[in-house]
Formats: sequence, C-alpha cells, structure tokens
Amino acid sequence: MAKRDVQVFLPLKTNWFHIMLSLTGQEQHGYGIMNEVLARTDWKVRLWPATLYGTLKRLIEEELIVESDERPAAELDDARRRYYRLTKFGRRVLEAESERLEELVGILRSKRRLEAL
Amino acid sequence: MIRFCLGIYRRLARAFPHEFQMVYGADVVQLGEDAIEEIARRHGVFGLIRLVADLAWRVPVEYLSEMRQDLMYALRMLGKSPGIAVAVVLSLGLGIGMPTAGYSFINAILLRDLPGAKEPERLLTTEAPTSYVHFERYRDHRELFSGVTAYVQQVPFNVVVAGRPERIFGHLVSPEYFDVIGVRAMRGQTDGLVVSERFWRERLNSDPDAVGRSLRVNGHAVTIAGVEPRDFLGAQAEVGADLFVPMTMQAELAPELGENALNRSDLKAFEVLMRLAPGVTPKSANAAAETIARQVEGEGFDADRKDKEAHVRLLPGGSLEPMPPEVRATLLGLLGTLMALILGISCTNLANMLLARAAGRRKEIAIRLAVGASRFRLIRQLLTESVLLALGGGAAGFIFAYWLMGAAMTGIQNSVKPLPLNLDLRPDAHVLLFTFLLAAIAGVGFGLAPALAATKTDFAPVLKQGAVTQLRGYRRLGLRNLLMVSQVAGSLMVLIITGFIVLGIPGKQTRVTFDPANLYLMSIDPVRDGYSPKNTPALFEKLRERLRSAPAVESAAFTGDPPGSPFATPTTFTVTASGGEPAKVVKSVVKAIAGANYFATLRVKVAAGREFSTRDEQGASVEEPAIVNETAAKEMFGSGNPIGRRIVHEKESFEVVGVVPDITAHESGAKPSAGVWVPMNERAYSRPPEGGVTLLVRAGEGRDAVSAIRHEMAAIDPNLSLFDVRTMTEQIDELNRLFASAGLVYGGFGAFGLILASVGLAGVTAYSVAQRRKEIGIRMALGARRGQVLRLVMKEGAGLVMAGSILGFLGAWAVGRMLAAASPDMAEVLKGTQPMLLIGAPLLLGVLAMLACYIPARRSTAVDPLTALRQE
Repeated sequence: MAKRDVQVFLPLKTNWFHIMLSLTGQEQHGYGIMNEVLARTDWKVRLWPATLYGTLKRLIEEELIVESDERPAAELDDARRRYYRLTKFGRRVLEAESERLEELVGILRSKRRLEAL
Repeated sequence: MIRFCLGIYRRLARAFPHEFQMVYGADVVQLGEDAIEEIARRHGVFGLIRLVADLAWRVPVEYLSEMRQDLMYALRMLGKSPGIAVAVVLSLGLGIGMPTAGYSFINAILLRDLPGAKEPERLLTTEAPTSYVHFERYRDHRELFSGVTAYVQQVPFNVVVAGRPERIFGHLVSPEYFDVIGVRAMRGQTDGLVVSERFWRERLNSDPDAVGRSLRVNGHAVTIAGVEPRDFLGAQAEVGADLFVPMTMQAELAPELGENALNRSDLKAFEVLMRLAPGVTPKSANAAAETIARQVEGEGFDADRKDKEAHVRLLPGGSLEPMPPEVRATLLGLLGTLMALILGISCTNLANMLLARAAGRRKEIAIRLAVGASRFRLIRQLLTESVLLALGGGAAGFIFAYWLMGAAMTGIQNSVKPLPLNLDLRPDAHVLLFTFLLAAIAGVGFGLAPALAATKTDFAPVLKQGAVTQLRGYRRLGLRNLLMVSQVAGSLMVLIITGFIVLGIPGKQTRVTFDPANLYLMSIDPVRDGYSPKNTPALFEKLRERLRSAPAVESAAFTGDPPGSPFATPTTFTVTASGGEPAKVVKSVVKAIAGANYFATLRVKVAAGREFSTRDEQGASVEEPAIVNETAAKEMFGSGNPIGRRIVHEKESFEVVGVVPDITAHESGAKPSAGVWVPMNERAYSRPPEGGVTLLVRAGEGRDAVSAIRHEMAAIDPNLSLFDVRTMTEQIDELNRLFASAGLVYGGFGAFGLILASVGLAGVTAYSVAQRRKEIGIRMALGARRGQVLRLVMKEGAGLVMAGSILGFLGAWAVGRMLAAASPDMAEVLKGTQPMLLIGAPLLLGVLAMLACYIPARRSTAVDPLTALRQE
C-alpha cells in the first residue's frame, strides 16, 4: 500500500488525539482508555462509552489503531475485553499532531514574550 | 435511578446497526456498566442523562456511517458495469421525465392559484362571457357576493411609449375589479389607468415617477394612476393583461364598449368575477345567479318550465385556468393514469434489469450472508443501489422535462403569436419534489422485490454449486419464458401504437399557390389609434391613395385574415335552395375578410366573376357579396355555377360574386380547405380581429417597401402604429414551423416508445439467457460445440419472439380498435395500413431480441465449462 499522507488527519480531532495518546507505549482496552484520559485531564475530558467505541471503530477503519491479538499477563487480563494498539501509521499521525501543537505553543510563547517587552 | 438508567442504556445499545453491535455492542454495554456508578457519584443525575444521551446520539450516527458505506459500495458496483447503469438511468430518465412533464403541465394549469388574488378559493367566475346588465344584477346581491366585477379581456390598446406606438393587451375593467380580486397597487392607487409591473419594468424602465406620468392610449393622453404588484397580470393570468382601463373612461379608449354595450343584455362580452359573501356556498350562489339570469332574460323562474337548460354556470375563479370541476377531475384522472402507466412500464424495466444483475451477484450475496451479514443489511445495500439508479434517472428525467416544457412553451406562444402569453410550464420546486418522490418510489418499490428475491437464498447450495434454481419466482422455465413473451408483446404494442400515431398524423406543411416574392404584411388598427369606425374607411382610402403613388409599392390591399393566418378557424355555411336544388349545410369552411384588390395584389387570377371593389368596402351593394375558392365552390354547389347563388352565415346572407383558385395547399396532398371571403366594410373595421387589419403590399423588385409605407403613414398621422411587419414567406414559414414542431412532438413519442420497448426487451432477454449459464456449461462439458449451443439458445429465443410478436399484433389491434372507438381523430390516424411499420416494428424488435440473446449466450459458451459449472 502506498504511503498515506498524515497531513489529511491534521488537526486531529480531540477525541482521536486523546485515545491515540493513551495507546502510546501500551495496549489498552476501552475502559482503560477512558480512565486514563480522565486521569490525565484531571477529570475534565470524559470519553462517554458510545462515543468512545464509535471513535475506536473509526480509528480502526482509518488504520490508525488495530485490535491487538496479544494479551497482557494472565493476572491482568480481562478475557472479555478487546485491546487496542497504535499502528505505525497511527504513531506517525500522532507525532505530526504533537509537532503541530508544539509549534503552536511555541508561537504563542514568543508572542507573549514580545508583549511582555 | 442507576438501575433505571442502566436499563435504558442496555436497551438503547441494542438499537445499534447489526455490524456495530456484533463487534462493539457487548463492550459498550460493559463499559457503561463499569463506569455508571463512578459517573453517578461524580456527576449526579446529569452524568446519567449524559451517558444515555451519548448513546442515543451515537446510534443514528452509526446508521448514517453505514449508509455512507453502502453508498460508496453502490457507486463502486455501478462503476463496474457502466453500460447497465447508463441504460437504466436513461430509460428511467424517460420514464420519470414524461410524468414529470405531465405534472409540470398539471401544476402550471390546474393547480396554481390566480397570482396576486386574496383568498382565491372564494372567487367564482361565469363560465361564458355575459352582458353588463347581468353583471349589474349580480352586483346588487350583496347577500350573495361581497363583491362582483366585470371586465373585457384580451383588449388590444395602441400605446405610445417613448415616441413609439406599440400594441399592448389589457383589460377593460369595472371599478370593483381590484377590490374583488383583493390586489392593491404597488405604487399609486387603482382608481384610473393602472399598468402592470411587467409593463412598468419593461416599457417604463421602472421609472420611480411613473405614477402621474401621461401615456398615449388609443390616441388619447391618459395619466397613470397606479402600478400593480409583481406577478399580477389580471384576472385571467395565462394571457396577461398589462393595462387596466376603467370602463368609465372615455369611449374612444374602448371601441369594445361602443354600440351601447353597457346597456344591452344581449351583448355577452363581459367576464364576471365574483367574491362569495361569508357563509355562501358556490352551489347556492350558482342557484341564485341562475334565478337572476332568468329574470334578466325576461322569464320568471318557474320550476315547471320546459327549458331546463341552465342560463349561467359559475366556475371556481381563483385558479389560473377556470374550468368546471368535473372537467378538472377527468383531466387529472386521465393524465394521472397515463403518467402511472408510463412510470409503471419503465419501473418494470428497472426491476427486470435489477433482477438480472442480482442473479449475477448471487454468489457475492451468499458469501456475505454466510459470513454473518444480516439479510436486512444486504437488502439495504441492494436498495441503496436501486435508489441511486432511480435518483440518477430522476435527475435525468427532471432535465428532460425542463427541456420538454421549455420547448412546449415556445410552441404554444408561437401558436397564439400576438397575444403575450403568460404561461410558465417549466417545472418549479413542487415538480422537483414530485420527481424526487417518483424516483424514490421507483427505487424502493422496484428495487425491493429483486432485493428480497436475491437475499432469500438458502446460501449453502449456492456456495456449493451455484444452483440456479433458488431465485424465487423465476424457478420454472415456463414462467421465465412467459416473462419474455409478454415483454415482446408489450414492446411491440407500444411500438405499433406510437408508430401509427407518428406516421398517421398527416403532414400539414403548407405552401401557397401564388407568388409570395416581394409580398409584405403589416398590421394596423386605426380604431385603437383614436379613429372612430366611421372615420376609418376614409383613412384607409387615403392610405391606399398615397400608397398607389409611392414608387416602391406595386399594389396594396387590406385584409382581416391574410393567407397562413393562425386565426383562421373553420365555421359553417348554409347554401340557400335554388333552382330545384335543396338547401345544404357545409361545414369546415374558413371565413376570411378581404378588401378591394386583394386577389390582384396576391396575383391570384379570379376564375369566375369578379373580386371585391372599393364599392363593396363602402357597403354599396344591396346584397353583401362573397367570394369562394374552388374547393368551397365544389362542396357548396357541386358542378353548378356558383355566381349569383346565396350562402348564409349566422343569419347573414351573401351573394357569391366570384370564384378564385385555392391559394394554399398542403405538401402532403391533403385536401385544401374550403374558403369564403366577405368584404372588409365598416363593421369589420369597428370590431377588428385580434391581429388588427392587415395591409398587404406587393413591392417592386428590390425596393424597400416597409420604410416607404412607414413614411406614408407618418405623413397621414404620426400616431398610427404599424405592428407585426413580416414578409409573406416569413408568414408561411412561421405556420410551417408550427406544424413541424407538432411533428417533432409526435416523433418524440415514437422515439420514446422505441427506447422503452428496446430497453425492456433487452433486459429481459439478457436476464433469461444469463439464467441458463449453468445449463450451457453442462452442455459444453458434455461435448456440445459452441455453434450447436448458440443455435439452440437462439432457436428458443426466436420461438419466444414469434409468440410474443403474434400476441403483440393482436394486442395492438385491440388497443387500436379501442382508441378508434374513443375518438374519430384516432380512427382517422389508425386507418392506414402502414406496411413499413407493420413489418419494420416486429423486425426491429426481433433483431434486438436476438442480439440480446446472442451476446450473453456467446459469453456463456466462451467461458470454460468447468468454471461455468462451478460458478454458474
């Protein structure tokens, strides 16, 4: 398959960004993603269940994440749950989004500095 | 509370589309169960509501997303077989386009209200024009009508705008006119001369100071009192009125009101529009109006009277085209049936093609069913495709209808030339909605059956061996053949009937038997230019005098109806008994008015007797003279001498003084029409025809006669307006163009029938052969040669086509008999044998059907028999 353009996904939708962020470096199930986003955002962003799974479905269709076949260690595994992980392409999209956000923050900071002068 | 919300949550989660449910349903429910306590703790009731609302919102979103997928898939599938897609869209486009055009017509004529009218359903109008005296009596009955107005319609006025005289059509109105309709002036007020917005915009350049401006109307200066709002073009809007002249204004403005018209109860020239008083029904108003009319006509209303014929009939007056409710209902029913029939045929075609397609896709469907797609989902997928096709057809149909109605409008306008027709037949938003509905019905209605049939497969055998036998309804060979036979029969019927209509309409192309070169026609209407009927002959005499001395003009004459006039309508004459011959009634005679020197100007030699002289114009003869053409002479007097014989038309007696050759002939050799000319005298001037009086001029070779005539006329009176200037050749071409466009319409019908028949036949045949693919495979596997198999299939196909053709002939004959019985015109059309059609139509369909047999059969024999067996 030809290399897909990450730019078409930018700016990334907030929900997509939070879910993909939760999946960096680890595989997660839906409940885990919800809880992690809650914790990370100080309970400000809640991914409501139906929205969460709807978004997961869309992310899979876009091949940004996949359902994982590997299961975590037996004592942690909840057999009823599906686990998701980022694809390579998903990681590139997330990185591109992070860079974009960083650039924005950079612009904002330098502007503040100018105003402070 | 938590448990209650969880209950709703679980139930809602079950509403997700099948596929989403299969994959995520359990997870969504479980996540909800896991999180609900924490949510309730943290967010309280609002959190619970939010949880449920989130789910409720996602359900439709998922459905929409699936539909999007269906749509993309459908587009891909259609893209794979563009030929079928184009054929379906085109044939369905025609099938939807014709009813759409029909509906546009209904919408424009039958369903629209009178523009600008207030509460149009409370308006009534008399079916036929009546007298001013009748109107005054109706008006006095305040308990019946809250308002009544009388007007004269299609009145031409000569109006001088920016120094140029023009002929403008308007209404002569009673003072109540605008109040009864319920329309207010956009500028100024309605007491006095009122102009339409169209006139204000086009002739007065939207002058903001138009009110108070003076306008020369029929030679008199009149001040504009008001401008009507946009869209309002009078109480009979299809022939728009641009001027509204009160009847109370000076008599010169309206020659129609001469002869004491307002005080006579026998001069029925006035349209009456009434607004019902509150609580009065149209029926009781009609009954009361009947009594009033009888009183006016001097008969007390007496139930025992023998004369039960109604004197007056009131029609709904607030619609664009007033017509009796029963006529309206018949028209609606007739058009509706016709539209449904056309749509039905093309939808059957669609269904057949979809069936054929579904048959080819059975394996794909079976696999999808086997891996767990719900049947509902598959049906939806197939329906999406058929609806997509139907919408494509709908779009094509709408464009087709738009074009067709545009052409129809031009045609109708040309046929009533001088009247400014205000008839918008083009489809509007209503029609668009109608088309969309038709397309949706066609797509769902006729996609559903094939979709149901295709998915009702017991998929195991299909997967195993590709059994043909599973498509319901087409299981038995007999039924399949029946379908094809009936399609051939139906197609042939459509083709033969439309063919007969197309070929049977006689060519009406007209030519003239005299020399049309250097002949000019132009219209004048001195009465509208302020001349009284008494002064007009003198004016004409003066004009003729001046033209005689003009070097560019060879000869000139006046006429009411020049050759090729669209106003020529046949009437009936009675030949008076004479010399032992009994009286005789001759129908279909065109009566025309001719001035002195008319035939000499045309260069038509008088065959016997004489033509009219200026003495005849002045009414000098004791007996009114008449001239007949040869056809009329033959029909009226046989071989006898016509000169000196009497003929009567509407109680007026004429003496035949001359016979002229037929001056027009039809290209097709159809019988020329009988014609009678009567002299142009004072009476003809005072009530000139709508086209005015035509000045016929034979100019010298290469001379500019038109400017010479303009010059001479301006020298007599600069306010005399000259309109409708054309050459004789143009006039004849114009007439022929009209007939040609009618021919085009019939030709269109024929093409329409042919396409509909071909598409349907090809679809069914191809489907029927495609069904036999497996059988062909077996034959090939058993060692049959390609030629043998092809011959077999073709032979069977030919048999079916033969059977269908015979049935088709019988059906066409029966329908033809029915049509002929229903209308004499049709009987005339269907009388001929048309060998070309009777041989050509079945031949054409036969070739088409055989081609539709051959192509899929050949394709079936071309594949490896093993593949055919495995895949069907």
